Amino acid sequence: MSFSSSLFWSWQPSLALHIPDGFLSLPISLITWVIAIALIIVSLNQVQGKYQERTVPIMGVCAAFIFAAQMINFPIPGGTSGHLLGGTLAGILLGPWAGALVVSVVFIVQAVIFQDGGITVLGANITNMGLIGTFGGYYLYRAIRSIIGRDSWRGMAISTAVSAWVSVFIASILTAIELALSGTVPLNVAISAMAFWHLLIGIGEALITLAVVSFIWRTRPDLLYGSANSRKVVDSRPLVQR
Amino acid sequence: MLLLHLGAFHLDIDSKQATFWHSLAPRTRLLCALLMVFAIALTPNGRWWTWAIYGLGVFGVVFFSRLTKTVLLKRIAVEFAFIGTVLLGTLFRDGGEVLWSWGILRITSEGLTVLGSVTIKALLSLLTLNILTLTTSVPALLNALTALRVPPLLVATLASMYRYIGVLIKEFQAMRKAAASRNLARNNVWQRFVIGNMIGTLFIRTFERGERVYQAMLARGYQGVPVVEKVPSGGRRDVFVLTFTIVLALLGQSIYLPH
Repeated sequence: MSFSSSLFWSWQPSLALHIPDGFLSLPISLITWVIAIALIIVSLNQVQGKYQERTVPIMGVCAAFIFAAQMINFPIPGGTSGHLLGGTLAGILLGPWAGALVVSVVFIVQAVIFQDGGITVLGANITNMGLIGTFGGYYLYRAIRSIIGRDSWRGMAISTAVSAWVSVFIASILTAIELALSGTVPLNVAISAMAFWHLLIGIGEALITLAVVSFIWRTRPDLLYGSANSRKVVDSRPLVQR
Repeated sequence: MLLLHLGAFHLDIDSKQATFWHSLAPRTRLLCALLMVFAIALTPNGRWWTWAIYGLGVFGVVFFSRLTKTVLLKRIAVEFAFIGTVLLGTLFRDGGEVLWSWGILRITSEGLTVLGSVTIKALLSLLTLNILTLTTSVPALLNALTALRVPPLLVATLASMYRYIGVLIKEFQAMRKAAASRNLARNNVWQRFVIGNMIGTLFIRTFERGERVYQAMLARGYQGVPVVEKVPSGGRRDVFVLTFTIVLALLGQSIYLPH
C-alpha cells in the first residue's frame, strides 16, 4: 500500500486501456483470447444476419469512424486532455453486436498495423473494451433508459452519461485486475492508479458521448440504434441553444 | 503514437527491397512474426537466456532484411515512450530481498526481475512487429490473414476500414478548420460541445457514406461475399523458414525445462 501514492502520478492515462505485449501472462492471455474470439464470431454472425450484404461497407466505415473519433483530443474537467474511447458510443449508435464488432475491428487494426496495444494481449483489450465497454455499456444504457423513460430526452441523456462513465471505469478496473493476476503490477497499485485516472477520463468520456448523442438526437434520431425508422424528427429545435 | 504514423501514413517504407526475408510469402512472414511475438511475450518472467536466443533471431532479421534503421529506431522510441510509464509500476513491489530503499520507496530483487523481464518482452515484441509492418504492405498483410483462414468477412471489413481511415480523418480536420475559422473555441465547456457536435456530424456523414459505398459496390457486381484473392502459397523457402522459427521458439523454451 505504501507505494501507491507515489506511483499514482507516474501512470499516464493515455496508455490505460491499450495493454502492450509482454504485460500479461500465458493463462490470462489465453482466457481473454477465447472470450474475444467467441465475441467476434458471434457478433459477426449477428451483424451479417441484420445487415446482409451491407455488412462490409457499413461496418468498415463505422470502424474507421470510431478510429478517427479516438484520435481527437478534448479538454477534460480537471486540467488534462483526453480522447474518446468510444465503446459505449458505438453501442448506442450501432447496437450491441455491431458495436462490439466495430470496436474489435478497431483494436485489431491498431494492434496489427499501428502497434498501438499488443498482439498477444489483443484478446484482453477486446474483452475489456468490446465486451465490457460496448456490450455491457449498451445494456446498462438500455436498462437505465427504460427505467427513466424511453422517449424523453432526460432518460436518454442520463442513461448515456451514466453508462459511458461506468463502462470506462469498469473496463479500467478489469484491466488492472488482469495486470495484477499476471504478476506484472501489484494489485493495490494497479487498481488505485487505474481507478483514479479513469474517474477523470470517465467524466470526459461521458461528456463527449453525451454531446455526440444529443447532436444526433436533435438532427437524425432515426440513426440511433433501436429507433423505429419511421420515427419523425421529434423536436427540431435549433442546434445551438444559447 | 498514432499521430506519428498517420502523419506520413506510409508504413511499409522497406517493402520493395529484394532480400531473402522479402522473398518469403507474406503469409510466412506474418506467421513467423506472430510465432515469435507469442513466444517472446508469453515466456514467464526471469528467463533471460530464452530472450537472448529470441533476440538473436530478431536482430538477425533486422540485419539481413536491410531495414532503414533510423525509421525503425524512431518508431520504436515513440512506441516505447508510451509503455515506459507503466513499466515504473512494476518496479516497486514486495518480495525478494530489499536492494535499495529510500523512505517508503523500496527496490527489491523481485521488482527488478519483473521490470527487466517486461521491458525486454515489450521491446522485442515491438521490434518484431515493426519489422513486419516495415517490410510488408497492408494489402499483403490482409491477404496473409485470408490465407490463414481468418473469416473473409472480417478481413474485408478490416480492409474497408483501413481504406476509409484517411478519408474520415481528413473530413474531421476540415470540420475543425471550419470551426476554428469561426472562433468556436471560447472555453473548455464550449469546446467540448463543439467537438461533440463535430463527432456527431462525422457519424451521420459516415453512415451515409457507408450507404453510398454499398451502392457503388453493388454497381460493380458485389454479391455479399468478399472476393478472395489468390495468394502465393510459398515454396520450399517458406517451409524452411517456418520450421526454423518453430525450432528457435522451442529451443528458447527448452533451456529452462530441466528446472
